[in-house]
Amino acid sequence: MTRAGLIALAVFLIAAGIILSLKPATQQRLAAALQASVAPVFTLGSNAKDKVTAYTTGVKKLEELERENADMKKENRRLQEAGLLLSGLEEENAKLRVALDFKQRSKFRLVPARVIARESGTWWHSLLIDRGEADGIVSDMPVLTDAGVVGKTTTVSARSATVLLIADENCKVAVTIEGAKEQGILSGARASENQELIIRFLPKSAEIKAGQKVHSSGVTGGVFPAGLLVGEVLEEPKASTLDAQVRVKPAVQLSQLENVFVIVPGKEAVVER
Amino acid sequence: MMAFFVLLLLTSLAAQVLQPLVPPIAALHGARILLFPAVLAYGSLALPYPLVLALAFATGICWDLLTLQVVTLSAETAMRLSGPLVEISAGTHVMLFGVLCTIIHGLRPLFLRGRWELHVLVSGLSTAGLLVVEYLLISLKRRGFEMTPVIWWRIAAPAVGSMLLAPFVFGVFHLAAHLCGFPVREQPREREAHALRAI
Repeated sequence: MTRAGLIALAVFLIAAGIILSLKPATQQRLAAALQASVAPVFTLGSNAKDKVTAYTTGVKKLEELERENADMKKENRRLQEAGLLLSGLEEENAKLRVALDFKQRSKFRLVPARVIARESGTWWHSLLIDRGEADGIVSDMPVLTDAGVVGKTTTVSARSATVLLIADENCKVAVTIEGAKEQGILSGARASENQELIIRFLPKSAEIKAGQKVHSSGVTGGVFPAGLLVGEVLEEPKASTLDAQVRVKPAVQLSQLENVFVIVPGKEAVVER
Repeated sequence: MMAFFVLLLLTSLAAQVLQPLVPPIAALHGARILLFPAVLAYGSLALPYPLVLALAFATGICWDLLTLQVVTLSAETAMRLSGPLVEISAGTHVMLFGVLCTIIHGLRPLFLRGRWELHVLVSGLSTAGLLVVEYLLISLKRRGFEMTPVIWWRIAAPAVGSMLLAPFVFGVFHLAAHLCGFPVREQPREREAHALRAI
């Protein structure tokens, strides 16, 4: 090896050693800085994709539009009936609240965000959203859609945030199963094709059947509030040496996400526009 | 030579930044084609050693930060108790790329003598090597090793993808090197030294 090569190798090893010795928090800040600088590229790409999708799906056949119109009229009538029923219930609810001096428990707001990119690596499940610190988002905030839990925020920059999906083995959620008293810890399966989830640490005697809904149990100090839909049990538990495990289908189609909500602590339950 | 190095460096970084735009392929069990290893392999074969290390360092740190996974390892609340934890520490890919590029650089004399097929081979092997080491590291961190057909697919398919991509990368950079006045072939001085060694 030449003298220049040896010097270069020494410099390389010293620089690599310095980076390896950085604290995780510093590494996270560096990753956030890089994320902030590349996020505009992804936003541009995502906008272009949206425009192409809007153009291709916008050109619909007349028959399809007529059918859609008829369906929407039916849906509208159904919603009007439901609305009447709900307004009655709302009135009754308001009276009961006053009677019980009820304090609103759901002190959070939902920040809508758009998915602008997916993970770079092969072994992880994450995505990038177009909201960050400027919108009140910090790490460890739950992310969901109207269908259920998506994951939680990890690295956050000013205008973007990484979301670790529940399909990732590292995203752990304390869960309860509908109709069963047992609790377990749900996480993703490593390199699963269908992004299946697994509930571990269930008692071997757990009586669980396919089709039961799985909700977050909301442990104290945890990330996910109680009662969020996570998925549906796929099959009866399989017992291992220590515990029983159950496969779960996520409530959200994680591979086709476009829009999500981040739960941010706030004064009242509102959805931002 | 520096112009060619800068071109390789920028292409390699751009390939990493644009990687999220390459979706996983469902037909290949969720495997994804990695864009940058073929560029990194070409740089390792074409450039002198100090520049190979510079390329490995820059691409390594970029990949480290792009794939940095902040995780909680034991329970949902672990992060709140002990601060952030990262699965593969920044600097790991720097070291890994340094080792891979040094090994590939060892084949440079053959490459400069016109063994162009080497680039295809090392592109595939370095991609597989990168994915195997990443998988071993996360298995170690997660305290559990499993080897399913899906995992084999996710290692082998990107490696084959890189090999398919390699001739295109080779063609583009060979032309670019020529245009930058840095022809990637054995120089007369190197040829003489090689001939002397053979005697």
